[in-house]
Amino acid sequence: MSVYLLFALVLTLLIIAYLVSVLQRIQTQLTLMKDALEDIENGNLNRRVLATESDMTRQICYGINEIAINSQSRLIQQKHSEQAYKRLMASLSHDVKTPLASLVGYLEAIESKIVVGEEKDEYIHVASNKAQHLKHFVENLFEWVKLDSGEQIFHFEIFDLNELSRNIIADWIPFLENSHFEYEFDIPETEYSIHIDANAYTRILNNLLQNIITHSEGDNMALRIFENEQQAKIVITDNGKGISSDNLPHIFERMYQCDHSRVAKGNGLGLSISKELVSAHRGTITAASIPGSGTTFTILLPKAL
Amino acid sequence: MNDFVIETKQLTKIYGEQTAVSSVNLHVKKGRIYGLLGRNGAGKTTIMKMILGLIPITSGEVDVLGRNIKGQEKRVYPRIGAIIETPGFYPNLTGTENLEIFAKLRGTAAPHAVENALKVVGLPYKDKKLFSKYSLGMKQRLGIANAILHDPELLILDEPTNGLDPIGIAEVRDFIKNLSVERGKTILISSHILSEISLLADDIGIIDHGVLLEESSMGELEKKNRKYILLQVSDIPKASLILERQFSLKDYSVQDDHTLRLYDTALDMGEINKALVTQNVTVISSQLCNDTLEDYFKKITGGEGIA
Repeated sequence: MSVYLLFALVLTLLIIAYLVSVLQRIQTQLTLMKDALEDIENGNLNRRVLATESDMTRQICYGINEIAINSQSRLIQQKHSEQAYKRLMASLSHDVKTPLASLVGYLEAIESKIVVGEEKDEYIHVASNKAQHLKHFVENLFEWVKLDSGEQIFHFEIFDLNELSRNIIADWIPFLENSHFEYEFDIPETEYSIHIDANAYTRILNNLLQNIITHSEGDNMALRIFENEQQAKIVITDNGKGISSDNLPHIFERMYQCDHSRVAKGNGLGLSISKELVSAHRGTITAASIPGSGTTFTILLPKAL
Repeated sequence: MNDFVIETKQLTKIYGEQTAVSSVNLHVKKGRIYGLLGRNGAGKTTIMKMILGLIPITSGEVDVLGRNIKGQEKRVYPRIGAIIETPGFYPNLTGTENLEIFAKLRGTAAPHAVENALKVVGLPYKDKKLFSKYSLGMKQRLGIANAILHDPELLILDEPTNGLDPIGIAEVRDFIKNLSVERGKTILISSHILSEISLLADDIGIIDHGVLLEESSMGELEKKNRKYILLQVSDIPKASLILERQFSLKDYSVQDDHTLRLYDTALDMGEINKALVTQNVTVISSQLCNDTLEDYFKKITGGEGIA
């Protein structure tokens, strides 16, 4: 009898001891959580509450962490777009101010009759080119802002991708020849219907081809199209100077120019616009490059949207 | 509350007669990558060890995550991830098994922590390869995976690219950068390679013979690194016309109402000044900025340079 009683007593004590230890563990966990929550509330979204597999509070800890992680990534995204706009404004000051200043310089010289005759005509020609360049830049800028803010409206219709591509390329042949480029096109003769915004697609190819002519410094380019049931793959290659691995990850970012000297011929918006347009088609655009031997751009477009 | 995640005040370490670290005031800002740059033996590792409380401090103070670290170790360490020198792992277990042990010991911030940490550093999950069979590069990667396993706020990485091949270095650099840019982590990283640090860091501290010679943001340093001529003139349009017509200059930019930057430093400034002045453009000042980062480091470390 007393043996049983003793046994029961020991057992009860053991259970109590166990429960107390569990309680203590939970107590420390709760203090940690309280600490972390205060910290998170004060804006430290990197704070985490750690838990091991055996902790009863594990799910709650992970839940708190997830909320902090999600708010953090939203905050970071917001910060990134703020930074991008700051960069945009900073480069605007170069892309607009500099050509504008020299344009005013040319016009003043003409107005005050410092230059006459043939020289005057040449000044007018240079000034007009500069004005055209500025116009082009501002147009691009507006297009990009429209895309970035999601205000661009797309008209998706069914087109034959092969036919459309051939038409776009036909317009480029004289430019390629003038720029001393050898070219090769490999587009299937068959019909390939795809849901596409024809203007946007034209813009995508135009930007990539323009990019090759102005930046690649090569003399050979090729455009090939491969198609299957699910998607079309458009591969554009050149044999130019290539893009270094430091620059490659950033070329689709707005205002990114590999050439850090200020003579850059483009405006750093073309590839960024192409990427936005491709994403609007739920496609992807990627670039691969071997410095010194050329660059390959690959566009994947799904057949059905 | 200040924004410094790590702040040291007059931090000093003396071994016998040898002063390894002398009155260092380090300021690591929240969400930024701080690069500690110095030659081997300059005192980088000693500073990191003192911040982590791995070796006693001779004098001075260390504040980490807003707390003086002394006596607060248990509250602060779970919020830090670190690799100092070669990380200790069990040689007869696989990478995954090693990390699972650490996950059990320290706890994790989310389910699948081991799998995710391995993915970040590009090592396979549940791979059968034993740690003893790992290459130096894989060991280093596993060390970083272990440092980020519990999703810490602060990472302290001592020469994390040591022993990696060039591609590995670029990969590690990318994901360290990513941890800061995409996830807002604060990172203190040391290196003896100037080009490494300049690609990665937002702020930089230059240490030589245990003394912190300079602490500044990378942006500030880069300004010292660019080569250009700063030209202040009375009439920008007129000046730019003269530059374009007489000097065939295209590589320039307009800074503000009176300042031009010319990126061709080989120009003859005397000729430019003369041309501008004779055509009624007043030149307020012209200044050649022509210092590379390398030159700059040589200057402040007293001639020997860093790497």
